[in-house]
Amino acid sequence: MTKTLLVTGAGGVGKTTIAAGVGVTAARAGMRTLVVTVDPARRLATALGVENLGNEPQPHPSERNLWAAMLDATASWRAVAERHAEPDVAARLVDNEFFRAASEHFPASQSYAAADQAATFVQAKAWDLVVVDTPPSGGGIDFFTAPAQMADLVGGRLLRWITGGPLPGRRFLFNVAGRPVLRIADSILGSDLLERVAEFLLDLRTTYDGVAQRGREIEAVLGSSAVIVVTTSDPAPVREAIRFYRALPGLASVPAAVVFNRVLPSEWAEATAPPGTPAALAHNLEQWAAETLRQRDSRQEFSSRYGAHIAAVPWSAHPPTDLDGLADLMKSSSDIPWAELGFSAG
Amino acid sequence: MIDKRLVIVSGKGGVGKSALSAGLALLAQRRGLRVLAMEMGDGQGLSTHLTSGPLEFEPREVRPGLHAMRMVRSDALLEYLSLQLGVRGIARFGPVARAFDALATTAPGIREIITIGKAIWEVKEDRWDIVVADAPPTGQIGSFLRAPVTIGELVPTGRILAQAEMMKETLRDPSQTRLVLVTLPEELPTTETSETLNWINNENLVSKPTIIANRILSELEEADAPTGPVRDAASLHRDLWREQQEWLHTLPPDLELPYLFGLFTPGEVAAHLSDELEEIL
Repeated sequence: MTKTLLVTGAGGVGKTTIAAGVGVTAARAGMRTLVVTVDPARRLATALGVENLGNEPQPHPSERNLWAAMLDATASWRAVAERHAEPDVAARLVDNEFFRAASEHFPASQSYAAADQAATFVQAKAWDLVVVDTPPSGGGIDFFTAPAQMADLVGGRLLRWITGGPLPGRRFLFNVAGRPVLRIADSILGSDLLERVAEFLLDLRTTYDGVAQRGREIEAVLGSSAVIVVTTSDPAPVREAIRFYRALPGLASVPAAVVFNRVLPSEWAEATAPPGTPAALAHNLEQWAAETLRQRDSRQEFSSRYGAHIAAVPWSAHPPTDLDGLADLMKSSSDIPWAELGFSAG
Repeated sequence: MIDKRLVIVSGKGGVGKSALSAGLALLAQRRGLRVLAMEMGDGQGLSTHLTSGPLEFEPREVRPGLHAMRMVRSDALLEYLSLQLGVRGIARFGPVARAFDALATTAPGIREIITIGKAIWEVKEDRWDIVVADAPPTGQIGSFLRAPVTIGELVPTGRILAQAEMMKETLRDPSQTRLVLVTLPEELPTTETSETLNWINNENLVSKPTIIANRILSELEEADAPTGPVRDAASLHRDLWREQQEWLHTLPPDLELPYLFGLFTPGEVAAHLSDELEEIL
């Protein structure tokens, strides 16, 4: 049985580092582990061995049990057309300017691609653990709502809005003159843009049954996954994390942990400089002590008010650049719920 | 920066874009300008930092002289059709508005032009001296800045095209519009900001952006320290400072804002940033 861990959180909090760290730790504990990442920093990509790699998981060149894959949203959308539409329709879709625009600009596009791919890897049953570094869009919520949003996009609602009535067949497009909505729109747009969109939506709609079915499969995988929420202790990400933490049980499951990244040593909170300390250094300690105190408060608030399991990853001045560095970072972390991932990281 | 009519603030997620937007809006307000702060994306970052509570499409005065609003696409679409394109009685044409909503979901540039168009429309109003837009992150900002051009390619004639031309000029005019890119001296924000800068230089859609590097540590003098937290804190500070200096060297910013220690709420962060901006602007 493949376990899945979804690593979620706002942008810039270190999700990818933690996803990679968990991945290495699991691999070294003997689990066949795949890390799926979205947009890694170069040194992290190098460490994982995913530079210039696409959708397909690649075994790590030197680490047994570790695979990595990098998300390619465009390829995933092409797969939607090819998997769920008739060949001629699929070919038309892939070439369509609106299809390309949707794959790039549809708000949940990258999230859908990530969720779809993650589910594919889980269903392959080739790994013991699949760790997914989720895209930050929508504060992470998009990742869980993407299958439904996708089904909504390809469903008939937008098409009905354009035609103003029951779902039409292709024939309706030859009868535009009779549609007041389209006549007005044409006069505003000075073109047949809306018609072209309707034509595209008609093609897209043929994928509806497949997309809806696939959406249910993806949701089943997400629903049975373990979730962790990553945040820093800064005020804005913490707010985001709280909102997200509270929304998660309705979307998937209660998060296994909230992982605070860049945590300062808690003993700094009460530390004072001994007499004779140079003024600059004493002042420096005061500043970092204030920061430590604030960090501790936001962790305590999270656990006492929302009952969250809190884990802490220390602030390292030098971000890890290789697998050993990532593994060390995880070793110096506290309270990461390894057991829930099916192994002990001793 | 606050002598411009429209200030668009973007940056990679997590760099402090909303905090800085709020800080700029507060500074402009303190200098007696009539300010509109606009949440352009989907988040609630701006309202959190302005401590204003949830924002609506209709601008609301959150402090004397400072109004705030957030983009609501369906409202903006109706306003765009009726006010900017002069389609009369649009409210009675619910089906037309809905058809355009379908269009905005599907066709490239429509959603973006409604959003950026709203900001520009407010600039053209005499209600405000300055509009500060907390814009989408750098990953998406290109499609917003390019929206008037995209529309030009999609729609050959008509009122939309004329509006798009006006928007293009406003964005390109350095006396009216200023793009601010917020960044951090770390790998990913530096890389993404550099890529955005290259793209902007090539596309010529907006004049040279202002780069603001956020959370900059000051240099700590070398001194002997006893063991324990004093030395550990000094050592972490110096290591982080050196790491920051490397990235600042890779992408030299126009302005630097300091790391703010020990602040508890987004409101405090925005107030402090506005004080810092007061000193350097």
